[in-house]
Amino acid sequence: MAQILVVDDSSTVRNEVGDFLQKNGLTVALAVDGRDGLVKLKADPAIKLIVCDVNMPNMDGLTMAEKVRSELNNSTVNIVMLTTENSPVMKERGKAAGIKGWIVKPFKGDAVLPSFKKLVEA
Amino acid sequence: MADDAKIVSKVLVLDIDAACIDSIKAFCDDNDLVGLKVQPDNVMAVLRSNLDLGAILLSENYANNIQGGTVLARKIRAVRPELPIFLRRETTDNLDDIQERDQNLFSIAYTIGSISKLQTALAEFIFSRSYPNALVRGISEIAIPALESQFKSMRVEVEAPYLVRDRLIFGEIFTLIPLESSWCRGYMMLQTEEAALMHMVKAKRTFVHPEAAYDFRNLNSLLGEITNLIWGAIKNRYLSSVRDGAYLSQVPIVINNLHRYISFGSENPQLCFKYTISDPNDETILPLVLQQKFVFNLSWSPEDFSENVTSVDDLVSSGELEFF
Repeated sequence: MAQILVVDDSSTVRNEVGDFLQKNGLTVALAVDGRDGLVKLKADPAIKLIVCDVNMPNMDGLTMAEKVRSELNNSTVNIVMLTTENSPVMKERGKAAGIKGWIVKPFKGDAVLPSFKKLVEA
Repeated sequence: MADDAKIVSKVLVLDIDAACIDSIKAFCDDNDLVGLKVQPDNVMAVLRSNLDLGAILLSENYANNIQGGTVLARKIRAVRPELPIFLRRETTDNLDDIQERDQNLFSIAYTIGSISKLQTALAEFIFSRSYPNALVRGISEIAIPALESQFKSMRVEVEAPYLVRDRLIFGEIFTLIPLESSWCRGYMMLQTEEAALMHMVKAKRTFVHPEAAYDFRNLNSLLGEITNLIWGAIKNRYLSSVRDGAYLSQVPIVINNLHRYISFGSENPQLCFKYTISDPNDETILPLVLQQKFVFNLSWSPEDFSENVTSVDDLVSSGELEFF
């Protein structure tokens, strides 16, 4: 059972974000790409927030967000993208998929922790 | 780094005439060259190392041998065929009296009296492309915070950018990622040494767990994420979309592991940045050197270069959550 699912193909980012969130009292599950993320989300109904990269092999993060809504019929889980991408076109696609927010890397835990806690508690 | 975006190039000076060396040094200083001297018995070893060279300035009488320059040029051509050799001659500034089979070893001949001829050769063989100042400055402005975000409590320094014609791979780990835009197409490479990167991980200066340092895939991942951070920021700032319907050509990239050599099928010099990551307060932390190389081998139209405009609505600092 985890509160937050971190989806990133980089083990460095999974370590960085996962370790930070766990040190701050949150339970975390990890996935290596969008396809893995869908499997992990389906298996754990306790997940309240997905923190997801965009550029990943096998399935990118925006496609995963769209499938969370359309294929898993999960309209409640919060999705935040954590990515180097900053294109308005991509953000619009994310909004259309019902994502909650967008963070441009690098990850700065202290800046986002209060928001993450609110999204988990919501 | 200096405020301007001056780009230099390193050249190997193989000459033992003291009077001529002074003139060559003055020429280098005036033409953005960094001249490197080497002892005659050490030349080949140096050429096999990673010096990031742009060219070689060779004396025809090198090592006090009347044929010394030509003999050495044949050896150089065998191991570093990509490096242009500029031959300093004593009495004539052409190659006409040299055997025909050896003439193509040299890009140009000059005498000390006609050293200004080299300027044309530099423009042709090294400084053959102009790079937008904003791009050159911006690359290290992007890379330094990206590196600082991945190496905890470390100082990141960068040398003046330089151009190289050699194709040697530095270190054991390198990443390669495409750069696609309406004004340029090519690749960015990051190269570093595995032992130095492993040392940083073991010293707890990265986000990789120290006990995971022995798995080389974790080191790969670290360099991969650094590449991703830099690439993403460069893309957001400088790379506009490729025109719809444009034909996107490709060429094979050839890597020869034995010779640590990578070719992108183009003779153009590569734009390089060298970063040193160190802890000035802790000498037990060994510095890490990271080389960043840009190869715009598929398309290059700097006249169309522009920075992407960011609307006020998009002005959210990196690392902060932008709510929708």
